[in-house]
Order: sequence, then structure tokens, then C-alpha cells
Amino acid sequence: MDKEIVEHGFSWNRRRFLSAMGIGIGGMALGSLLMPDLFDGNGLEAGSAPGIPHFAPKAKRVIYLFQNGAPSQQELFDYKPKLREMTGKEIPPSVRGTQRLTGMTAGQSSFPLVGSFVDFKQYGNSRAWISDLLPYTAKIADDLCIIKTMYTEAINHDPALTFIQTGSQQGNRPSMGSWLSYGLGNENKNLPAFTVLLSRGIGNGQGVYSKLWSNGFLDSVHQGVQFSKGEDPVLYLRDQDGMSRKDRREMLDHVSELNELSYTEFGDPEIATRIKQYEMAYRMQSAIPEVMDISKEPDDIVKLYGPDCLVPGTFAANCLLARKLSENGVRFVQLYHQGWDQHGNLPFEIAKQAKDVDQASAALVTDLKQRGLLDETLVIWGGEFGRTSYTQGTLTKENYGRDHHPRCFSIWMAGGGIKPGMVYGETDELGYNIAQDPVHVHDFQATVLNQLGLDHEKLTFKHLGRRYRLTDVSGKVVKGIIA
Amino acid sequence: MPDERYKHLSLKKNRTILYAEQALLILNLVIAFLLLFEDKLVIPYWLQPLGRAHPLLLHFPIAFLTLAMIAGVVRFGRTGDKTVVFSLAEQGFLLAGTLLTGITLIMGLFLSREGSYSGEALIWHKWAGVIVFFLASAIYVLAFRNWFKAPAAWASALLMIAGLLATGHYGANLSHGEDFLMEPILSHKPARVVPIEQAVVFADVIQPILANKCSGCHNTNKLKGELVLGDSVSLRKGGKSGKLFVPGDADMSLMMQRLHLSMDDEKHMPPSGKPQLTREEIGLLALWIRYDANFHVKVTELGLDDSLRTLATAWLKPVSNEPFGFAAADAKAIRELNTDYRTIMPIAKKSPALEVNIYNRNAYSKKQLEEMSGIRDQVISLNLNKMPVKDDDLVSVSQFKNLRRLDLNFSDVTDKGLSSIKSLKNLQTLSVSGTDITYSGLSNILSELKSLRTVTIWQTSIKPSDLENLRKDNKAISFNEGFRDDGNSPLKLNPPQISNPTTVFSQDIPVQLRHPVRGVQIRFTTDGKDPDSIHSPLFDGKTTIDKTTTVKAKAYKDGWYSSDIASFDYLRNTYVPDSVRLLLPLNSVHQAEGAYTFFNRKLGAIGANNPAWANFWAGVRNNDLVLVSLFNKPISLSSVGLHYMLEEKTGVYPPQLVEVWGGENEKQARLLLTMKPSMPKKDGDPTLKILVGSFKTQNVSYLRILARPYKVKKDQHLLLVDEMLLN
Repeated sequence: MDKEIVEHGFSWNRRRFLSAMGIGIGGMALGSLLMPDLFDGNGLEAGSAPGIPHFAPKAKRVIYLFQNGAPSQQELFDYKPKLREMTGKEIPPSVRGTQRLTGMTAGQSSFPLVGSFVDFKQYGNSRAWISDLLPYTAKIADDLCIIKTMYTEAINHDPALTFIQTGSQQGNRPSMGSWLSYGLGNENKNLPAFTVLLSRGIGNGQGVYSKLWSNGFLDSVHQGVQFSKGEDPVLYLRDQDGMSRKDRREMLDHVSELNELSYTEFGDPEIATRIKQYEMAYRMQSAIPEVMDISKEPDDIVKLYGPDCLVPGTFAANCLLARKLSENGVRFVQLYHQGWDQHGNLPFEIAKQAKDVDQASAALVTDLKQRGLLDETLVIWGGEFGRTSYTQGTLTKENYGRDHHPRCFSIWMAGGGIKPGMVYGETDELGYNIAQDPVHVHDFQATVLNQLGLDHEKLTFKHLGRRYRLTDVSGKVVKGIIA
Repeated sequence: MPDERYKHLSLKKNRTILYAEQALLILNLVIAFLLLFEDKLVIPYWLQPLGRAHPLLLHFPIAFLTLAMIAGVVRFGRTGDKTVVFSLAEQGFLLAGTLLTGITLIMGLFLSREGSYSGEALIWHKWAGVIVFFLASAIYVLAFRNWFKAPAAWASALLMIAGLLATGHYGANLSHGEDFLMEPILSHKPARVVPIEQAVVFADVIQPILANKCSGCHNTNKLKGELVLGDSVSLRKGGKSGKLFVPGDADMSLMMQRLHLSMDDEKHMPPSGKPQLTREEIGLLALWIRYDANFHVKVTELGLDDSLRTLATAWLKPVSNEPFGFAAADAKAIRELNTDYRTIMPIAKKSPALEVNIYNRNAYSKKQLEEMSGIRDQVISLNLNKMPVKDDDLVSVSQFKNLRRLDLNFSDVTDKGLSSIKSLKNLQTLSVSGTDITYSGLSNILSELKSLRTVTIWQTSIKPSDLENLRKDNKAISFNEGFRDDGNSPLKLNPPQISNPTTVFSQDIPVQLRHPVRGVQIRFTTDGKDPDSIHSPLFDGKTTIDKTTTVKAKAYKDGWYSSDIASFDYLRNTYVPDSVRLLLPLNSVHQAEGAYTFFNRKLGAIGANNPAWANFWAGVRNNDLVLVSLFNKPISLSSVGLHYMLEEKTGVYPPQLVEVWGGENEKQARLLLTMKPSMPKKDGDPTLKILVGSFKTQNVSYLRILARPYKVKKDQHLLLVDEMLLN
């Protein structure tokens, strides 16, 4: 056998070498024609642990103030005087089109339009219309980019929420924060790159589930870590009574040795992940108290965010905490504020919901700005879809409801290289369809990634034989809102 | 020795070759003549198409001459027939090629007289072409002499190829624009990106648009329409059809008119088939002309809401992939400097620039800065937020001479230390919020930091009047003083909270009220009345209560509106049964802890979205709630109470009837108490209620409590109970 191998080696003469090389190079050249980025080496896969942006980012961190349940755009950002005029009239079929309805209104025999119960005024240099329900947000109008033309594909909470968070309605895909953690890595090695904070308002609420901050098929280090309001903000982080720091260290060292052994034996990457997570938890033990401590916050902060920011578990407290986490290098802080699902009793509920979040949301933007952090932190405020221009249930003089509406909804973004003081997109006079500049959920996701220096088409992960992206197979960066 | 046959063949001159050679001679003379009297040449219109065929024909001479040169070189070193074949080939190609070169040359001269082309590239192209022609002629004459050997053949071939390349290159520049050849590579370099603060409208916005879409034809080489769209001078000058624009009046400007003509119009610019200007670009040009076609104004000098500023800002790409004038640091060095508390990362793939974040107050030391001397050129962003950075440490910071961004918020630096970062000429963003920096300290360094654009000074001693001065003296810098409470818009305090782990107690219990805001006064009542700031006592932490009580509390603080009233039910329950069981089932979704719910000291809350609602309320709707409690030792019972929820709107009602049966055992139990609470008002607010009834003290070991949900005709209402009180 050896002889054959040696002979085979000798048979590699110059001619053969050159011809083989020619075919090889030709093949590569042909490949690069078909896949332009073949040799850029920009894919992240294959264990490139500390992710580095594809290009210089504008934003380094994201704080996503998710308004869970779908806030009604007609009462907050999308001013429609015509809709008010037409209150009580049936929605024209030409406007409604063939929109699929939810089970809650599909059986409704009439669809009377209803205008907002609340007044709007114009604010800032952009003369943006903002509802009287959001007095504090109105004050920072010049820092905001209000997008009135977001649209989605799903008509119910769970799929819509899953869609906007993971790019797919079905779940089991990594959340936006996990993608960022994967794409950018930790800025602070003592804190997770992706954290989640929950709060709920008085309005009709919809559940949030941990699948929304799941790492999907990515490494489990990229999973969102939920901070809760109690004594233990991060569960199971505290040492058991009687365990000293030294004991903990020794225990970890031994566990890690054992894990190393099984890693060499089985090579399962989840074992390596586990080792890393133990180590991070150890460092978090000293980092978390420092981050969570609000006793050193200046008094003005309480006035800025409102006194609720001192009550753990409130939206205001979560906003303050989000600022503290972000300032400490957490890439993606995801807040969920529940209670925006106003199918009925809308005027009463939305007023309370808005009051819950208005001051603290605006305060967060102001606070980041006064620390010089707003330009590198992207703040996003918005829900999973919008609400219908017609009423759900009975329309009375002072009460009505609105059903789910995927065709348009309003969100705002601030900082992170997004153009401040602008309103993007326009809906029709009844606030039902988009008239100009639609922004699909995938466009929105592509834009967020773009601000963080990531090309949404290159941030991929190979799983079950295909490469997945946050934006699935579509999505265009919304250039019009980039500063 | 020359081959006999070769000699014979090379001298072969048939009739065709002779005529061709005559033609070549004439061409030489004609061309020399044309070159001499070029200036006087006027091309009649019917000859112009001939000139325009120049780009068509020129490919033939290039190919023929190249083939001739190859054959000319190859024929040496061959023998026999091969030499003959190559010699013949050379002769044929060379003769044909030279003739065609001459014709092409004449056509080119015609074309150049039309006036569409001028400039340096044309001159180079013309003379390179002329050289090629005369060189080819010379080679034809000399190549078949006996002394003409391989070295001469090589030399003439190289010369010829060089000539062809030069001619072709300049020609291509003429028709495709300068740098056409290398453009894909040159343009692959990141475009020069200008920070918005430094951007000049003309140089950084208008000129690049023109360069991109117009200068392909309107440049100093090509001069279509005698127009050059290059610098301010050429733009002001305009072209054949007149001035380009009327400053201040875009509508009357020739440039805008040409841009706006319909695509079918011959005068539409850029010509159809060439890349057109986008709507944005046209808008920018129009706005710029409207702005008096100012060549020097900076983007930031325009009004904040000026349309030109808005569009220009949008047009200028974000500062990404900023080209840095330094090389990347050693990857290994970066890796080694990365620790748990100091992260060093490139800002993007392939970028040499690094950003550094330092975390954890306790782990901070000056050494962390000093150690980074190896990467001092590459660090462009340094985050020392909340680190105990001392004045001395800033000397180490000043080594990072390419620093763009420095975050010193809430650090220990003072004016003294700040003076050492004067040398950071590239610094763009400086954050000193929450430090002891003063007005004088800051104004001292600002004049030196020429690149500085943003400074945050929130929570410093800098007064509004000082800030005005700072703004006046440093127009390019935007200062952010942040939120300052001026006391003019007081907020409402949130209600007080309690810190008792549970408010269900068996003996005395201290009332523990607290408020998260510092310096708040809490006033409270225990008699069910609403507290106020005059009559109600101030909470001092010394109150204890011994019976079921509703404590109402309200928070007060100067500069704030007082809070809403908070109400807390302190529930006394002296006896906990030794065993409990339910005789009838609970509603399937309101199970709580079953029979144990009523003595687990966990209180429910209002609101279906509240977790305490789902977990702590036991509920019945379709049957009575019947709880049997047994006591190992008889207890002396004199009152029984229920804590329940009332939410009329959602159909959560008080019990219709409560019966308490007690005795030594089941058989001897008798009715001790019957209660019928009043029914709620319509549309009342949801509340938590206590229903208590007393009776003559009884010794009981067996206790049965029956609570019947409210029922009107067929309307079954929900009854929710979280605790029962036995005293």
C-alpha cells in the first residue's frame, strides 16, 4: 500500500498540478460569482465567540420597551381627524379590503368607525402629532423618530409577538436579543448580553412567555436572562446560606474540571457553554448588586422617572434598571409592559396604561442623553401590531374597544443613529391602510441590526441544514430613518 | 545562416502587397501633413460619420499589430517551414495592421476636430496613436532585413505593445471617463466619510453628486457642451448654453431645467441610458441653488429645520468605516489585555480602531489604563463611567491620542486632572456628568479640543449662566445639561407601602409602613377614615395593633403632590385549625391552595392580571363553600370573619349568606352565626372587604363555615375568599 501512495505522490507532476489548480481556482471563481460574499469571511458561524460588527456601528446597545398587547395607534401617535368625523359610520369596504379578522370580531355584523376620544397636539421641530395621553413623550418629540407605518403578518398576540421578536410566527427561533448577543458578544463579561424585565399595567393583559427570549438554536449563552423584582433579581444566583465566596470558587473549579472531562469525551458544545455560564454567574454575583443598587441615584432621577421607579417591578423601575444595565454594557435590554390589549373599555384602560409608561419612557431617553449615551443606545418603543379603526363590541358615547390590526401600527425609536425628530410613513385618512413608506417587521429588524453594525443578510446560523437569519428571507434596511 | 527558402519568401512581393505598400507610403505622407496643419482642418459634415467610425475600427489594428508582433518574435528560433509560416504571418499582419492604424488615425483626427473631446487625455491619445503608426511603419520596413534578429524583434514588439496599451488606455479614458479601468478597485475603497459637523454643503454633498452623475462627460478631458462640472470656478463659468444657475433661483437655473426635462427630450440630462439623478439628489441641488449656491457654507451652519440641512444630513452617510490613520494593534496583545473587567474590542471587522470599557468599581486601578500603552494609538473610545478615576489617572488617558470618545461620568476627576487631556486633539465626545468639574476647568480645555462636538455636564456645578457662556464660546459643541428639577412641575407621590411580610397575625403586630422616596412623611389612620395632613398622626414606626384593622396611609413631601390613599387590612386570626377540609369542590380555576387557602396568611389582590389573584383566592360559583375545621384542643371562639373580593363589573360578589356552625363535634354543632352582607352598588370600584360577625364565646373543636355565592334567579356570581379569621 505504501508503495502505491509513494507512486501516487510521484505521479503529481507539474502538468497535473497546474491543471488541477486551474480547475480549483476556476471553481472558486465561479463560486464567488454566484455568491459574492463567499470569501469575505463575514459569516459568524463556526465558533467565532466574541462577535464583532460587520461594519462600524452607530448603536452599541438596544433597550426595547415592548408594549405588550398592542397599544392603539389611533389614541397615541396616529392622529386621524377624519376618523373622528366619521365616528359611527360603517368602515367603507374598499378600505377594509379582505383583511382577515380575529375570532373576536369576525362575527360582528357591523364595523362602525370610531375616532380617538383624546386630543392630539403637534410638538417639536418635526411638528409630530402626539396624543394628550403622552405629555412626557411629547416633550422629547425632537429626540424621537416616530414610525407610523409598521405592519405585520399575524393577527393574534402570540404569533405577532413571536414574529417581531424572532422573525418567525412559529417560535423556536432565537430572539432579537439572542441574535445580538451572538452577533456582538458581551460588552461586559460580568453581565449577560441579553436581559429581560417584565411589568404589567392595569389594562387587559396578554401573556409573555420565556420562549420570547429564547436562544432558539443558538448557543444557550445567548438566552435572555430574566431579572425579577424580588430580593433575588436573578434567580438562583445567590450563594446558599453558609457558602463562602471561597467555597463557591473551589466548587466551581472542581465542577469545571469535571465538565472539561466530559467535554473532551463528548465534545458537546453545550458543555462548554455550561462552563462559561457558571463562570459568568460567579462574576455576576458581584456585578449584579452594583447594578441593581439605586440608592446612589441622584434625587433628580426620581423626579425624572417618577416615584414609581423606586418600586421594584413597575415599568418605571424597569426603565431605570434598563438604563443601569445598558450603561453597564448589556447589549440588549428587553422590557415587556403588559396590559395594552384594549378590546373593550379602551378610553379608561389606555389612559392608565399610557400614564404608566409615559414619564418613564421619556425619562429613559433623557437620562441616556444626559450621560452622553443616547447616540450609542437605540431605544425602541412599540407593540406587536396595531388596533382597528372600527370599534369592537358596542360603540357608546364614551366607551368603545378596538380589535387587533396588522396593517399598520406606530412605534418610536430614539438614539442609536436613528434620525431624531422625524415622523416616518403615512397611513390613510382612516388609519387603516398604509399610504406611504411601509415598514415590514423584517425591515424593522434589518434596520435595528444595521444600526448595530450587523448586516442582517450575513448574520446567519446554520441549523438543520439551512442558514437562518433574524429576517428570514426578506427585510430591507429603512434608509429613510437613519441619521 | 538565413534559410534560403525564407529569404526567397520574404522577398516575395505579389501585386497586392506592392499596392498595399504604396498605400502605406501615401498614408505616412498624408498623416504627416494632417498633423502639421491640424489647426486649419475643417471637417465637412459628410465626413463626420467617418470620424465617428474611429471607435469601431480601432480594434482591428490593435489585434493585427499584436498578432504581427507575436509572429515576429516567434519566427526566430524556429526552423524550416515553421519559420516560413511565421514570417509570412508577420508580414501580412504587420502590413494590414499598419494600414488600418493609419486609417484609424485619420478617422481619429477627424473625430477630434468635432469639438466634443478636448483636454489632456486627447493629446496623449493622439500622440500615442501617431507613434504607434510610425513605429509600425518603421518595423515593416526594417523587420525583414538580414541584420534584424531576435533581440531587435523583442525590442520592437515591446515598444509596440507599450504604444498600443498607452493609446488604448487614453482612448478608453476619453470615451468611458477617467479611471474607468481601475474604478471598480478604487471605488471599492470606503468612500471618504465626513463627520456631519465638518461637512461643507458644496464640497461634501453637491460636488460628490456631480462627480458621480455628471463629471463622466463634463470634465476637463471631455468637456461636453464646453461644460466642466468640477470646482466652484468651472461651475460658475457654465458651458456652451450659458450659466448653469441663477444663485437663489433654482427654477430659473439651466441645470435644474435640464434635469427636469422629460426623458424623451434630447436635452434632458443626464442623457438617457446614463445613470439618472435620484429625487433626493435633485432636491439637494435645487435647495443648494436656492441657498445662493453658496460654495462654503457648512451643513451645521444652516438652520436646524432648514430643508437643505435635513436633506444634506440624510445624504451624508453615517460615519461608518471611518478611515483611521493608524495600523491595527497586535491581535495577541489585545487578547492578553482583555480581562473580566476590561473589554477591548475592535469597533468593526477589519477596523484597527478599538474601544475599551472598564467595569466594576472595586476592580478598578490606574494600572488598567497604564497597561494599555501598547495599544495607545488604536483606542478611540474609552468608557470609565462610575470608575473611581483620579486626576492622576487622566495622564494615562492622555496617551490615547486618537481617542474620539471619553466617558468620565460619575468618576472622581476634577478640573486639575481634566487639564491633562487637552492634548486629545481627536476627542469628539466628552462625558463628565456627575463629576466635580467646574465651569472654569471645562472652559480651560475646550479651546484646545478642536474636534470636540458633544459634552455632557449633567449633575455638575455648572450653572445655567455659565452654560450660556460655554455655548457662546464654543459654537461647534453641543452641551447637554440634562434634566434639572426646577420645582415648577411637582409630581404626585406614589402611595406608601407596607413591609410586614404578612398582615394576618395572631397576636400584636407592628405596623410597618414605608415609602421608597427619601424624606417622605406618612400620615395614617386606623379608624377607617381617610388620612389628612392636619388630623392624622405622623407614622413613626411605633404603632402596633391587636385587632383586625384597616390602616389607611398617605404620603406627603415638600415639592410633591401628596399620594393617593393606600389601604392595608391587618387581619387578626387567633386560631389556626389543626385540620381542614372542604365538603364541596372549589371552582376549577380558583383552587388556590384548596382548604388550606383560608389560613395560609397569603392575601389576594384586586385585578385579574395580578398573580396574587390567581394564586391566593379560593372561589366558588355553582355550589356553597363549606369548610370544616377541627381543633385538637377546644378553642374559645367569639367571632368569625371572611376576607373577600368585590368587583361588581366582572361579577365577583359578596356571599349571599354565611353560616357558622360549631360545637364539640359534628353532631353537636349548632348554628352560631348568620351573616348577610349588603349587596354592592352598581359600578362601584373593586375593593377588598372584611366580613366579621361576633357571638357569645363558645368552646368549639368542630367548626363548619358555609358561604353561599350570590345568586339572583339564574345569575350565579363568583365568590372569592382568601382568608378566614377566627378569634
